[in-house]
Amino acid sequence: MDAVQISNVTKTFGAVTAVDNLSLIVPEGSVYGFIGPNGSGKTTTMRMIASIFYPDSGDVRVFGQQMLGARSELIGYLPEERGLYRKMAVQPLLEFYGELRSGRKVTAEVESWLKKLDLAKWASQKVQALSKGMSQKVQFIAAVVPAPKLLILDEPFTGLDPVSADTLQSAILDLRRGGVTVILSTHDMQVAENMCDYICMIFRGRKVLDGTLASIQDRYGNDTIRVAAEGGTRFLDGLPDVERVHDLGQVQELRMARGCDPQQVLRTLIERTRVTSFSIVKPSLHDIFVRIAGPEAGEEPIE
Amino acid sequence: MPHNGLHRILLIARRDYLATIRTKAFIIGLVVAPLLFGGGFLGIALMESKPDIKERRIAIVDGTGVAAAAVIQAAQERNAKDLFDKTTHRQVKPRYVFETLPPGANPEVQRLELSERVRHEQLYAFIEIAPTALQATPDAAPPAGNDKDSKAGPVSTYSNAGGFDEASRWLAGSIDEGVRRVRLAQLGVDPSRLSDALAGVKVDRFGLVSRDPKTGEIREASKKNEVAEFAVPFGIMLLLGMIVMVGSSPMLSAVTEDKAQRLVEMLLGMATPFELMMGKVLGALGTSLTSSAFYIVGGTLALESMGLSGMVPFAVFPWFYVYLIADVVFLCSFAAALGAGCSSPQDAQQLAILLLAPVMIPYFMITFVMQQPNGAISTALSLFPPFTPMLMLLRQAMPGGGVPAWQPWVGLVGVLAFTLVMVVAAARIFRVAILLQGKTPKMADLVRWAVRG
Repeated sequence: MDAVQISNVTKTFGAVTAVDNLSLIVPEGSVYGFIGPNGSGKTTTMRMIASIFYPDSGDVRVFGQQMLGARSELIGYLPEERGLYRKMAVQPLLEFYGELRSGRKVTAEVESWLKKLDLAKWASQKVQALSKGMSQKVQFIAAVVPAPKLLILDEPFTGLDPVSADTLQSAILDLRRGGVTVILSTHDMQVAENMCDYICMIFRGRKVLDGTLASIQDRYGNDTIRVAAEGGTRFLDGLPDVERVHDLGQVQELRMARGCDPQQVLRTLIERTRVTSFSIVKPSLHDIFVRIAGPEAGEEPIE
Repeated sequence: MPHNGLHRILLIARRDYLATIRTKAFIIGLVVAPLLFGGGFLGIALMESKPDIKERRIAIVDGTGVAAAAVIQAAQERNAKDLFDKTTHRQVKPRYVFETLPPGANPEVQRLELSERVRHEQLYAFIEIAPTALQATPDAAPPAGNDKDSKAGPVSTYSNAGGFDEASRWLAGSIDEGVRRVRLAQLGVDPSRLSDALAGVKVDRFGLVSRDPKTGEIREASKKNEVAEFAVPFGIMLLLGMIVMVGSSPMLSAVTEDKAQRLVEMLLGMATPFELMMGKVLGALGTSLTSSAFYIVGGTLALESMGLSGMVPFAVFPWFYVYLIADVVFLCSFAAALGAGCSSPQDAQQLAILLLAPVMIPYFMITFVMQQPNGAISTALSLFPPFTPMLMLLRQAMPGGGVPAWQPWVGLVGVLAFTLVMVVAAARIFRVAILLQGKTPKMADLVRWAVRG
């Protein structure tokens, strides 16, 4: 069974269409990533899945059921904006959230998660005493206690240091291994590439990409050259059939036009400078994102 | 308990209730609120305990040649009667002393000279009694003369005092009595019998006589207690208003703060907007009931210890609680809806006045309703649902108020229906507005959401 099925959903706020005729399927047990620029409709879509917003038209089903505004303990939701009762102690707060969602005492689960995320010694501290990273971990626990079947995480890694981000990432992957379906949104393309089984890009309320990373990249083919050369970008101007040069610092990415011969590009480069590395690759998710949502938006075909 | 909407409402209510009553602010407020509300009365009592008793000199310019002596005699009798507290025998009012002057050749110059003496605090005030003052007809023609004389009555007082000048009122009584004495003497009444003739008559007030339905005996009417007649209804209405305000006014800022701190979206992942709002409303109701229990029990024990337990209006307590619950639920729902529409605590402050109206407006009507508790306007106002809790309770708490039995029930139906409508409308506004950020909705938006959701 699909964990989430969205069919022809539209949601407007006044004159603004936040989500426009969106359809997608989130397979059960997968990690499904939403990417897209700010204001593209990711959060609105996730709120509709969590039944916080109702669609104006279309149908949202979670595990085959229309939610119709009801709350379910099967869904854990971590909103983008962090909100915790600052004057409550950590453990009572998490127990309150857990009981609110499940209707039963969740003391054992809360204690287990606090240990797992290295927060046990903060259990009796007030939330206002925690650092931003710790608060974020507390909020994550609030979303996963008691065990949901579907976990919706709106930008879960924003503002986290690498250690905390790794901790959270491994916790999410553990949950996935335990059969939990995870929907997350992120602006970090590396996270999306590394963690997500499926990636959906929403742009201006519409779905413009949907599928596995490989299938998305296949659509663009091997149109990218990754090169490292002495002198950097100085010798890359005016290369034949190269549409765009993306300077990554030590390495540069060149986007080839249709029909471009990479051997000709290599020959021209060797004539100009000493090339230390040259490879033909599929475009990165970052590059695909920029092609769709960057200043060149509209030039690329969308799904 | 099965986990459903009601369970979630109760969980939210319990959290909010415990979070409130465990704060120092609540405990301090429990004590401070009645002091603030009753502070005015306390202030008056304190001021009365430190009266201004400095001697006040009054000059009388007597155009009749006989009235001044009578006025002074009447004033001295009043001095003797009012100057000292009857229980403590402490002087509580200033003593008035008099000097009599004949009319000057130029009245304007004389008035100016006396005014200067008042300005230099040699006099407190001066009185001018025209020769026409002894004429019994009130529209006796003033003497021909300058412009001032053509406008003034037969007796004028001049002073520097502003505001509520108690001295002028006190003097007016003495002048009135003194002039009437002279008139009576001129009509031939024995001056030694004047005090008896002018003595006041004591009027006792009673309720109605009734028949005992069991024994058939006629029950004598009970004497009316003026303190109980005023203090009990006023006090219980004041208490209701105070508890309602203390219970409901924090809701507006609490919801706005939860919204500003992004708490709401987290909670909405676990509870519906209606459950969240009702949980908050019930939490506030719990707080109000706790406060009311504290005041009711404390007040009853205090009155009992003073031997005044007969003044406790036990019969209206059930109504008090019904009105309290309805008022808090309606006002808290309204506050939650308004709070959901606000983007910042500053926005919320501007709307707070809307919440005070159903409590404050009835306060302004207290005197009118107490004077005519069963008049058409009092009845209509107390059946207007937003005012029913306060005004109907006021009427019901008046001893022998005679509110027809059907009126509280009709008022209650109105209040409950109104509360239900307000809760539904507030829930609709709350659901739409609670996640809106950065834009404060206009009144038209709120009305549209309330109607259509």
